[in-house]
Order: sequence, then C-alpha cells, then structure tokens
Amino acid sequence: MAKSLGIFVTSAKNMKHVMGVTKAAKAKGCKVKVFFTWKGTELAKTADFPELCKMADDVSICADSYKKCGFDPADIPQGLTDKEMATQAQHGGIIEDYDCYMTL
Amino acid sequence: MKILNVYRTAPTADVKKLVEIVSEGREASSFDLNVAAPDYDKLVDMVLAADKTICWW
Amino acid sequence: MSKKVCFMLVHPDYTLDGLRSCLGLAVENMYSYAVVLNQTLPPLDDYNKENIDWIRDMEGEVYSNVPANCENEGLEPLSLEELGQKLRDMDVIVPYGMMP
Repeated sequence: MAKSLGIFVTSAKNMKHVMGVTKAAKAKGCKVKVFFTWKGTELAKTADFPELCKMADDVSICADSYKKCGFDPADIPQGLTDKEMATQAQHGGIIEDYDCYMTL
Repeated sequence: MKILNVYRTAPTADVKKLVEIVSEGREASSFDLNVAAPDYDKLVDMVLAADKTICWW
Repeated sequence: MSKKVCFMLVHPDYTLDGLRSCLGLAVENMYSYAVVLNQTLPPLDDYNKENIDWIRDMEGEVYSNVPANCENEGLEPLSLEELGQKLRDMDVIVPYGMMP
C-alpha cells in the first residue's frame, strides 16, 4: 500500500520543491497533504498554487499567518475553501496521521 | 533506523555537526535539493524508504 | 503515545512565528520544543513571553545556544552538541524557515 506524505511549508522560497515533490509522490500513489504557515502562506498567491490544490489530497494554510503576512483572510486563495483557511492543528494532523514528513 | 538528510541549501558547519551527531550509529543517506533540477522522483523514493526525514534549511 | 517535536529557529524573521507554531503542537498534546540558534532575540513582548510560558506549561521547553537569550529571556541553555543529542530522541525535527 502506498504511503502518505505530509509537507509542512515554512519558507516562501520552496514552491518549486513543493510542486516537484507532490507531483512525484502522487505519481507513486501516495496520499499527500500540504500545510503552509508563516511566510509560506505567500506561496498561496503564486501561479502554481491552484494546480497544487488539484494535485494534492489536502492543502490548507494558516489563516493567522496569512493575515500577518498582509493578506485579507476574506480573500481566499484560488483552490482553497474557507475550511482550508486553518490553524496549526493541520500541522499536528500531518505528524499524527501521515507516514512520512517533510519541511520545505 | 534509516535517516534521510535533505539539504535545501549548502549545509553550514553547524548543520554538518548536527547531522553527524543525529546520524551516528544509524543508516544515513542524503539528498541535495540545492541544484538546478532536483530529481524529485528519486527524492520521494528516498523519503518513503526512510524512517525519518530531516529537511535542513 | 505523544510525539516529540523540535523546532530549530535560526532566522530572526521566522523565530517568533516558529515559537507560535511550537505552541500549536503543544496544544495538540505533543511534546513540543524549540531552540533559538545563533541569534539574539529582541526584547520579547507579553504575547511572545506568554507563548513560551504556555509551551512550558504543556511540558515543552524553549532553549538557546546564545547566553544573552538565557539571561534576558529566561531560555534554557543548550549547546550545539547537546542539541544534536536531543534531536536523536525526537520523532520530528523541524528546521523552520530559512537560513539568514
């Protein structure tokens, strides 16, 4: 059975890696969850983000971080719903429920 | 225990020291993300095979 | 069994939010630790001091290898060597943010 992979994104520099790892993991049948926090939430405004939301099984961002980075929480990034404007509990979910863990 | 050390940038002296301590007596491998075109397919295989992955800065 | 997680904080722009993230796992019933490395913290406001207090209340700890952080903000001293040994015992290691 394919493993699951959780990715915790804390840097705004790593979208290429997030996309590359997610695409490769999905091609192997893995379940992939990605959670963006702090400056990582800036990546929700990149052109690749909606595609990531389609590829991965679960994508969410820290709403508090998004606000602190200067974005309006009511301006939900394309690809997300208001339920995916979330909290650090998403990181806890990755650690508890996913087989493999990466920080990008 | 199989440990995979992933480097997002070139490791500093401190990172090398921490990797040395964490990896001591364990089966350790590494992957360099700090290249123009990382082989993500290979990286995911390595992550799936490892017991623990550490993605250093 | 509760997981043990260690956040390593090296960049001044990411450190205080890293502490918030550390607290986020502590409230998820994990043993959550943070280490402030190679940087001197600015004087912490009440919000960030409370975050550290809450991490401790939930059996976590905040360490630093910089003596000024231990003297000024009450962080627990931890050398690089000691950090390495501590990391061996962690379930999850989080090199948070980026290098300065």
